Amino acid sequence: MRPDRPTHHDAARRRLLRGLVAAVAAIGLATPAMAEGPWQRLDAARSVLGDAEPVTQGLVLDLPHVSEDGASVSLTVGFDGELADDDYISRIDLFATANPSPEIATFHLTPLSGKPEISTRVRLNETQQVIAIATSHQGERFATAREVRITVSGCLMRNGADQPEPLSNPRVSVPARFSPGQPEAVRTLINHPMETGLREGPDGEIVPRHIIERFTVSLNGETAFEADLHQSVSASPYLLFYLSPEQDSEAVFEWQDDTGSTARHEAAIETS
Amino acid sequence: MSHTELVVWSAALIGLCFGAAGQATGFCLMRGLANSWTLGDTRKLRSFVLAMAVALLGSQALAASGLVALEASHYASATPSWLAIPLGGVLFGYGMTLANGCGARALVLLGSGNLRSFVVLTCLGLAAYMALSGVLAPLRIWLEGMTTLVLPARDLPGAVGVPAWLTALVLGGILLAWVFSSAAFRASPRDWLGGLIIGLLVPAGWYATGVLGHDDFEPVRLASLTFIAPIGESLQYLMLSTGTRLGFGVSVVGGVIVGALAMALLRRDLILRAFDGPGQMLRSMTGGALMGIGGVMALGCSIGQGLSGMSTLALTAFAALAGIVAGARLGIVGPLALSNN
Repeated sequence: MRPDRPTHHDAARRRLLRGLVAAVAAIGLATPAMAEGPWQRLDAARSVLGDAEPVTQGLVLDLPHVSEDGASVSLTVGFDGELADDDYISRIDLFATANPSPEIATFHLTPLSGKPEISTRVRLNETQQVIAIATSHQGERFATAREVRITVSGCLMRNGADQPEPLSNPRVSVPARFSPGQPEAVRTLINHPMETGLREGPDGEIVPRHIIERFTVSLNGETAFEADLHQSVSASPYLLFYLSPEQDSEAVFEWQDDTGSTARHEAAIETS
Repeated sequence: MSHTELVVWSAALIGLCFGAAGQATGFCLMRGLANSWTLGDTRKLRSFVLAMAVALLGSQALAASGLVALEASHYASATPSWLAIPLGGVLFGYGMTLANGCGARALVLLGSGNLRSFVVLTCLGLAAYMALSGVLAPLRIWLEGMTTLVLPARDLPGAVGVPAWLTALVLGGILLAWVFSSAAFRASPRDWLGGLIIGLLVPAGWYATGVLGHDDFEPVRLASLTFIAPIGESLQYLMLSTGTRLGFGVSVVGGVIVGALAMALLRRDLILRAFDGPGQMLRSMTGGALMGIGGVMALGCSIGQGLSGMSTLALTAFAALAGIVAGARLGIVGPLALSNN
């Protein structure tokens, strides 16, 4: 039976609870000042940050909490924080803390990119933190991290799936019409094995590294978006990003792999 | 509507139809096998085989028209395990008799107010994910790796060298001839309607993921009706929905429960039922766990391999279905039969 009136015991428990709440709040308030994010413990991330103290608000990483297929994890990174009127996000770096090489990709954005939001698919070989660092044109830095749990592959489908022909079949989806200065999503995909250089082939020999290193988009010859890719990007790289053309433009998309081979796709962009 | 939303909504619709049809007709492989082995009444079994024939002909028609490439489904594996697939089938079939129905049946019964099914489903989903990616996964992967078989062909047409449409016509014709050879079955519209509707939902599933879900940039994995991994995934989705995306399988599972509930209300058949005692509960829990583990090893359940897998004519489907029937026989006829109360 519950007593109707609070007993001395209850009062003591409430006091203890209040104390605990205060202690937790104090720790919670103290954390941002320390700003001990996982990016401080990763050399590759620290080299991007330099001595700067990143802002931990504004940059958003969207990844599944749990993924059954570490070979292809959907990732979206976007920025909705505050910047000076004449400033823009000019660079976003992605890192996977526990991959053999932590760099995933570096994106270079321009005012022609319009909106700092990029989606791709990445490889994560175990449960780990994924880190994003954004740098603005005027040097402001933002950082965020997200933990992803990787379990073994569900239905074990990839039993020697056919390797795609490198740099074949580039696909680009561009909106039929842009409004000037209004960012719209562009999606690109190209076949490529993105061979990591870490995997053994059927003959027991290490399959040499073979990846797309660079992807560029230009509008009328002016660079609008660039991506440096590393082996943690999934096979047949997929990229969603935004373009914000001011006038009718000739868009050129170019992929370059580490053998120097390239693939090109051109598209006419109309604005109205 | 984006292509992924389209897949999720069509999956919910397919689930609703499955739940409603299953609730109204009592469609169940386990009941069909038990009735024909113990009572000599083959109507429920013929209903299941009719669904299989309809699923086969419908899916192969989709494939022949070039809309869906069924060899991209996970059933058509060229390197299956010769042990895990039939053994998983046996575990699943035996578990199905302990739990008094397969996973899909438990979803329908849950929608009709059967609380026993909730226990079966929880154990099934938990065990499925233990075997898929949890504590039992390393053992399963080791076992599969030890017993991998390199097949010269992935499916029956490839193995016998006959075009898929012809194989489907011949096999479908034989199945249909047997199904309708029974006057009792022909006189039971409940059974042939149930088989027909559920059979049609299999090509509908291929269409939803393969045609509506087709997108060069963000492909949706080709799938149709299947329940073991999706029941586990549904439990996970309930707990982690903010960090995961709703897919075809989970949406079907939700649709089945809602469809069965709606049909149970419509037919004034919603009755809360619980266990009579700990013995029955233990049997249901064991049955659920065996179905979860067995279904993952066999790459599918009585519906997943028995209907969807068979509709692709994949060789793994024949092995898994034979295992399921053998396991069910162990549990219904013996020697491992437990007395039914």
